[in-house]
Order: sequence, then structure tokens, then C-alpha cells
Amino acid sequence: MNYILHILIMINIYLILSLSLNLIVGYTGLLSIAHAAFYGIGAYITTLLMMNMGLNFFIALFITIPVVMLVSLLVSFPSLRLKGDYFVLATIAFQVIVFSILYNWISLTRGPYGIPGINRPVLLGFKFDSLPSYFFLSLFFVIIVGLLFKLLYKSPFGRVLKAIREDEISAKAMGKNVDSLKIWSCLIGCGIASISGALYAGYVTYIDPTSFTLMESVFILSIVLVGGSGNFRGPIIGTIFMVILPEILRFLGLPDSIAPNVRQMIYGALLIILMKYRPQGLAGEYRFE
Amino acid sequence: MIWQFLANGLIRGSMYALMALGFGLIYNTTRIFHIAHGAVYTVAAYLFYTCAILLKLNVFVSLFLALFCSGILGVIIEFSIYHPLYKRKASIGIYLISSLGLYIFLINTIALFYGNETKTLSPGIEKTYHIGSIILTRIQIFELISFIIIFPIFLFFLKRIKLGKIIRALADNPELSTVVGINVKKIRIIIFFLGSILAGFTSCLGALDVGMDPHMGMNVLLIAAVAVIMGGVGIFESPVVGAFILGLLQNLLIWKVSSRWESMVTFMLLICFLVFRPQGILGKKRRLEET
Repeated sequence: MNYILHILIMINIYLILSLSLNLIVGYTGLLSIAHAAFYGIGAYITTLLMMNMGLNFFIALFITIPVVMLVSLLVSFPSLRLKGDYFVLATIAFQVIVFSILYNWISLTRGPYGIPGINRPVLLGFKFDSLPSYFFLSLFFVIIVGLLFKLLYKSPFGRVLKAIREDEISAKAMGKNVDSLKIWSCLIGCGIASISGALYAGYVTYIDPTSFTLMESVFILSIVLVGGSGNFRGPIIGTIFMVILPEILRFLGLPDSIAPNVRQMIYGALLIILMKYRPQGLAGEYRFE
Repeated sequence: MIWQFLANGLIRGSMYALMALGFGLIYNTTRIFHIAHGAVYTVAAYLFYTCAILLKLNVFVSLFLALFCSGILGVIIEFSIYHPLYKRKASIGIYLISSLGLYIFLINTIALFYGNETKTLSPGIEKTYHIGSIILTRIQIFELISFIIIFPIFLFFLKRIKLGKIIRALADNPELSTVVGINVKKIRIIIFFLGSILAGFTSCLGALDVGMDPHMGMNVLLIAAVAVIMGGVGIFESPVVGAFILGLLQNLLIWKVSSRWESMVTFMLLICFLVFRPQGILGKKRRLEET
């Protein structure tokens, strides 16, 4: 039972990540490989606020989201001038820089040693200590974030983003402020990603920079790509598939030493095959055209 | 100290330059952001390891085999993955994601067979030479010499040989070069073969120098991409400029600050170039429609 709850909590954390990345990749058409950076910044800022200032988890999270949104401007401002693989390279650069800061700014983040002993969230005297309570906490966030994105995807805002994705120049010609819309899309997507960071830190109670590497960004991106982007159900299917995949492999009796490699081989191969035969992913809409 | 720093910077720069020349050759002509080039880099080093250590072949025979096989791997990648996408006129995003998927697949296949740990090729301590106040190992001198030999050959090939001129024509205007009867499919295969051999050569030298692990490819690939963009996209010899700047800068950091901030400074530089001078050091400003 605890095992299933653990998987469900991880699914919830990744659902928030994939839904928020979907807004950037699937709706705005900006192929970003920097989502783990915002996930990491969210986790670190919440943790540091909790550990150093003694703030409550929820207050810390409330401060973290706007801060991460501000940080996301660092990516979205340069992105306005870049297209295609230049943009992708810029996001990779940002991801590497953030990892490097988390890893090397030892006086603040303790670098490679990580931060142990993070407190579980407490709300009105109730501590989310047990697995079921933490599951409901993460489910609560998923429902709020899910509703938010459901509304956003359907709203005029979401439709303008789709227009930018399909044809940026036409959208401009229709009088839409493409630059500010792109910035808003990154602001919202990255701000929401920090919620998962905070949830992850509160759940695992230990964070270190190796959870937020370039390969983690690639993993989050491949969730969105495998499930499919540009609609609501794609990222959900992708998350469930990609988080459960290693567990299925475990049940097939693969030894632990090779299981991570086999898992990554499968999703690498999946990306190639999907891009060749079904670029919109398992259940997505956006075909990267 | 300053001479040692310059020597180390130049050696590192020449390794980056060799990798970046291969990456630039592919990127300039096909416009594919070939992330799997990093995987070719890793595969070549492991092929070399298999031949030289596991099968106990002669070093030069194994180097030849490793280079040939990495070239063939490049051709297989082009033939099985990029060419179908090219025929379909796929977008940049699709190329990029396929390449990323291929990178993940190949790297993990290597890790599955050889393990994730670092392997070294040369046992014991490498022989060193003292030139004035500079201390260099034998393999470092070899790295510098191989760049000095390969770079003029590369330039001669591109500027004087007919095949090189065809490659430049293809880079300049893919559609027009089909009109004048260039067999794009064949030329692309040759480009991937040559580019992959350059990557393989760099990786074998690097493996002899500092050893290897399955995940080394990504870092080298990104530095090659940074060098290409710094030098200027569209000019085949320009990555050398970027590569030497990076090599010297990284060694300056190691000397004056610490090697920890190496990747951060490299990528800060990349972002500055992307934002303020996207055409690179040698590039000319182009209009949007031309790119």
C-alpha cells in the first residue's frame, strides 16, 4: 500500500511539472529543456526559506512562486530574440548554469552534500507526516493546478498561444502582442513548476542538485512528448506512463543495476519512433510543424 | 606559469576545435542540431577501448577500427533517422527530439554493456616532457600536433577539392544545389561520415588522456555547439576561433579561480553571444529571410 502511495505521490509531482511544461512546449511551441531548473529553484527556495527563516511550508511556497516567476524572466526575455535550435540551446545553457549554481554555491545550498532533514509541511497544527496525508496534499495541489490549466488551455489566452505556435507572424498581424504573451506563458509555466519542487522537497525531506540535472529536464520534456502536448490529456497519459514504466520493469524482474539504463533506453527509443511515426505523441495534438 | 596556462589552453582548445569542426560540418550543411553526435563521441571511445584493451589489438589498428566504425555509425544515423525526416520536410523540433532520443538510447546501451563507471585506457603515469618551463604529457603533445595536421587538411579539402566545394555549395543553398545536379543524399552521407570520424578521433585522444565514462559525450557536444555559435554559423573554419577562446578561458578560470565555475562561465558566454551577437565572431549580419 505504501509502495502504491509513493508512486501516486510521484505521479502527482510529475503531473504538475508536465502540465506546466505543456503550456510552454505544447501551447506556445517553445521547446524548453530547462524545466528541471525551475523545479530545482522552487525546491531550493522553499527549503531555504523553511530551514533558515523558519517559515511554514505554505507561506514559503507562497513566496517561492513569485520569485521563480521573476527568475523565469531571465529565460523568457532572451527567448524573444531566438528561434529554433538557438532557443533550445539557450534553455540548455540556463539549465546548466542553474545546476552549476546549486552545485557550487556551497555556503548557501551546501552544494553536493544536499540539504537533509527538511520538515514535512504543517497546516494549522496538522503535520502531513504519513504517506496517505501527503498523498492528499499533493492531490489537492494537482486538482488546483489541473483546474487552472484546464481553464487556461480553454481560455482565449490559451487559444492565442496556440495561434502563436502555429504561425507567429499571423498572430502578430492580428494585433496580438506576441512577446508579452510568450513571457506570460513562461511566467505561469515556470511558476507552477516550482510548486512541484516544493512538494518534492517536503516529501523526500532531502534535496541535492543531482535531482535537477539536464537529464531530469530531458526526462520532463520526454513525458510531455511521449504523452503528447497541446491538449489536456496528453501530459496526463505521459506522466502516468513514464512514472509507472520503471515499476513495470521492476516487476519483470530486471536487476536493479541495469534497470535505470533499460528504462532510459526505452524512452529514448520511444522518442525516436514517435517522432518518426506519430509526432503528436500518444494522445497529444501539437505535431511540431 | 603563464606559459603553462597558454599551453594547456591551446591543447584543450585544439581538442574542442576538432570536435567542433565535425559538429560544424554537419550543422552548417544539414541544419540538424545533431545531439547524437555526443553519443557517436562516446561510442568511438568505447570501441577503441574494446579493441585496444579487451581484444588486445595494436593501438593504431584499434584507432583505425574505432574511427571507421564511428563513421559508419554516423552514416547509419543519417540513413535510418535523419533522411526519412528530411524527405518528409520535418521541422527543426522533430530533428532535435529524434536526435535527443537517439543520444539517450545510445548512451544507455553503452552503459548497459560497459557499466557507468569511469574507465582509463593508459595504465600508469604518462611519460612527460619538459619544454622550457612547460610540462606536457606525450598524449597532450600528440593532441596539439594532430590539430595542427588536421586543420590545414580540412581547409584544403573544403576550399580546393571538388567534393569540399560541393559541401560548401550545399551549406550555402540546399535547394539550389539540387537544381545544379548535386546528389544531396550522397553528400549528406559523406558529411556524416567525415563529421563522425572527427568526433571519434577527438574522443579516442580524450579517452587516452583523461579516461572515459558513458556520459562524457553531452558536455563535449555542448561545448562544440557553443564553439560553433561563437565562431559563426555557416562558416566551416569558424568553430576553431570559438574553441580556442573557450579552451583558453577555461584554463584561465582553472588557474585564477577554480575549475568549478567552468561550465557556468562557458554557458554565460553562450547566452551573451546568442543575445548580442548571434552571427558569431566571424559571421556577417544576415537578414532574417536568408537564414
